[in-house]
Amino acid sequence: MNDSALAAPPVQAAAATPPKLKVRDLNFYYDGFHALKGISMDVPEKQVTAIIGPSGCGKSTLLRIFNRIYAIYPKLEARGSIELDGENILAPGYSMNRLRSKVGMVFQKPVPFPMTIFENVAYGIRHHERLSRSEMEARVEQALRSAALWDEVKDKLKQNALGLSGGQQQRLCIARAIALRPEVLLLDEPTSALDPIATGRIEQLVEELKHEYTIVIVTHNMQQAARCSDRTAFMYLGELIEFDRTEQIFTKPGKKQTEDYITGRFG
Amino acid sequence: MNGSGKEHIIKSYDDELARLTGEIVRMGELAATQLESAIDVVERRDERAAQRVVANDDAIDQMEQEISHDVVRLLALRAPIAGDLRNVFAALRIAADIERIGDYAANVAKRSIPLSMVAPVAPASGLAYLAELAAEQVREVLAAYNDRDTERAYQVWQNDVALDDAYTGYFRQLLTYMMEDPRNITPCTHLLFMAKNIERIGDHATNIAENIWFQVHGEPLNKQRIKRDFTSNPEPGRLDE
Repeated sequence: MNDSALAAPPVQAAAATPPKLKVRDLNFYYDGFHALKGISMDVPEKQVTAIIGPSGCGKSTLLRIFNRIYAIYPKLEARGSIELDGENILAPGYSMNRLRSKVGMVFQKPVPFPMTIFENVAYGIRHHERLSRSEMEARVEQALRSAALWDEVKDKLKQNALGLSGGQQQRLCIARAIALRPEVLLLDEPTSALDPIATGRIEQLVEELKHEYTIVIVTHNMQQAARCSDRTAFMYLGELIEFDRTEQIFTKPGKKQTEDYITGRFG
Repeated sequence: MNGSGKEHIIKSYDDELARLTGEIVRMGELAATQLESAIDVVERRDERAAQRVVANDDAIDQMEQEISHDVVRLLALRAPIAGDLRNVFAALRIAADIERIGDYAANVAKRSIPLSMVAPVAPASGLAYLAELAAEQVREVLAAYNDRDTERAYQVWQNDVALDDAYTGYFRQLLTYMMEDPRNITPCTHLLFMAKNIERIGDHATNIAENIWFQVHGEPLNKQRIKRDFTSNPEPGRLDE
């Protein structure tokens, strides 16, 4: 594809399933700070990939590059390539609108729009597509069902979304993201503000959604990565230290740095 | 601490893991001592001492229960992973092996009681050599466990062949005695069972060695070991083939 891809270091843990995202020699800088250093990895399609690592290791930065959210800030620069289905999303010509419809994102704190539950889901769809009223209703229902929220909100779709509980709000945000029928779903610490029951529901949802979507989840919760991901990447100081099957990482990691981190020996 | 060399950020976690190792080593020491005491009562033909050895097995069983309790607690409260998980998992399995070693030692002591009620037979003295080999294997594997020394554990694993050879030789010796004089059948049958118990202790020592290997390396000990207990061979005349 380009020179940097050819010169890329060995790709970590090439997956048995075809890669949805191919990251090659990715470097990221802000204000001169080298935040990501030569990351190369294949994110497998329709699997859950977890990214773990201590604060400041670059895991959220990496996630944000997957949908180029950094592009709204000045002085940020990404070098290398990220191929989504064979096309480099970092190339200047790649349509941001297309990227956002293909790659959805859910953040740490649920941020529903101050509007009705229905409108929260319909809002994004209207931005990308023109649907009839009945089509829109069907699409919203489908998204809410996929997000395991439909049964709880079907009788109050016209109520303000801010009245939902934290866990429901987060599932609404997931519904909003999947309403656009993305191919990749990015979750940035999606349960850190939720109680264990709401967390369990989100994790169950992740397990169900992975049959339809490629999911990348950033989490500080080691057990969450162990519970709901197929592959785990460990990052430290902007580098990808190890990327392997989750079972391997949590039973017999290959690198001492990984073992020290996941067993609570980092210091 | 374990193979990683670094301490946990939460110090009490290290304390709990170290305590688990200490419990295993103490339990193993007790089992090895039980075996030595059992052989001692065989030689002295001391029924009361034999009963004390049998009763002491309760202490080993009790220690196994304490270790199981500590393992469940560690799993529930610390959710160990990677090397820590293998550490805790190995401890549980090793405790089960030591508990069996204790049972076999108690069985030897138990059979020494009917043995002491019949006239002494010459081959009884041969049992001590077997027990010596087995006790040495148990103590060696415990030292390997304490130091996480996989080479030492591997040596124990390989040395089981010497115990198997000694057992096969002893089996043949007992058969000869029984064929010579039917009055030897009762005492020699007891000795056969006791010898088999001791040979099984050696097998548990090799199990422990395998668990040490797994704990440290995260993979099973796959090397081929020669098995030399031929006593299940259907033709007694071909024992050493």
